[in-house]
Amino acid sequence: MRSIDGLHAMIVNAFRIERIGTNTALSDCITVAALHTAAMTDDTRTDQPTDQKPSSLSAGLRDTVPAKAQVFDRDLLRRRRDRQAGGFGAHDFLMAEVAERLLDRLDDVTRSFPLALDLGSHDGLLARLRQGRGGVETVLQADLSAAMAGRARRTGNPAFVADEEWLPVNAAVIDLILSNLNLHWVNDLPGALLQIHRALKPDGLFLGAMFGGNTLQELRDCLMRAELAETGGVSPRVSPFADVADAAALMQRAGFALPVVDSETITVTYPNMLKLLADLRGMGEANLVANRLKRPTRRAVIAHAAALYAQDHAGPDGRLKATFQILFLTGWSPHQSQQQPLKPGSGQTSLTDVFGGGCH
Amino acid sequence: MNDLPTSGDEPGSGYEPHPGVDRKLLEILVCPLTKGPLIYDAARQELISKQAGLAYPIRDGIPIMLVDEARSLNDEDFLK
Repeated sequence: MRSIDGLHAMIVNAFRIERIGTNTALSDCITVAALHTAAMTDDTRTDQPTDQKPSSLSAGLRDTVPAKAQVFDRDLLRRRRDRQAGGFGAHDFLMAEVAERLLDRLDDVTRSFPLALDLGSHDGLLARLRQGRGGVETVLQADLSAAMAGRARRTGNPAFVADEEWLPVNAAVIDLILSNLNLHWVNDLPGALLQIHRALKPDGLFLGAMFGGNTLQELRDCLMRAELAETGGVSPRVSPFADVADAAALMQRAGFALPVVDSETITVTYPNMLKLLADLRGMGEANLVANRLKRPTRRAVIAHAAALYAQDHAGPDGRLKATFQILFLTGWSPHQSQQQPLKPGSGQTSLTDVFGGGCH
Repeated sequence: MNDLPTSGDEPGSGYEPHPGVDRKLLEILVCPLTKGPLIYDAARQELISKQAGLAYPIRDGIPIMLVDEARSLNDEDFLK
């Protein structure tokens, strides 16, 4: 475990809440993705020797995994979620808004999904919002944090604790997998998507929302400039987020049929930057980048960043804008009934006939 | 946007789930490490993966499917 814990961790967290993708960070992310996919051909996780333990969980294998592969500190994410579970409801407006948009998309699908899994359920938000909406009979809820899962279970739906990178769900048993603002903390996104795909029944649907590259761009910019001015250097305060093209490529690679990734931007306004930081902390979304600074940020940096933020990103009403880019991932587990591409060369009509002579 | 109403009922109000593990979970859960089958030990409230040699605890009806939290099986467990 890390040396920062208890009160010290609270202080550290209080001043490091930045999560956004810079171009540099994004290229890191792609490198990591490539690294993982190179090591993984299919559902190879099942082929792991049984005496090895998951990389994010055990010291054993973790030592053998290149440090670069661990972008996010998953142990810290778990502890933070445990700690924030009680107060999550006071900060869940963004999660609730995105959950509504996710469920709207689900409402557009006419078929029914008897058994659904909410992957990264937090405190059961999605299950509560879904209550009374058609198409889904049972929602199983999984979260990395036992405290969150405990709250989720009180919605009246089963819950269990699971790591998305090591999904403990049998193959082809789930009709629908939902994931609301959770997968952006996964180190091995290609692997997680493969396992989601594996858990789905044929013609099952995966519908996920995760933060995209433009998220919190204002905060990233201000913190970077402030830190540079005050300390003469910058540290990773910002999660690398995937962009639309990366996410689409990963969906396709994971084997989803009819994959679609689209993005929506939600702009939230705040009276000041500290209120934004408090909200991110309350959501359990503070900085988890594994090689972040391990000491509290100097007050001068925060004060400088807050001043820059107020100066550059205030609206006409004086409130400060914060951008959240949400990627919506949609993909189906392949099934015969789905539309299929024809084999190349199988066309019966010559384009020359359609367009007339002279068109080659 | 930040004035959106939070969702209706607060968790913890009213509904208290039954203490045991939900049957539906037993049908779909596998060992996260081996993706192999699990045996439900009702007395000890554990899900046992013989392949991995691990027993995952069930706390307050919630299976904890993390290798970190699992107990290593000893010889006695295998004789059962």
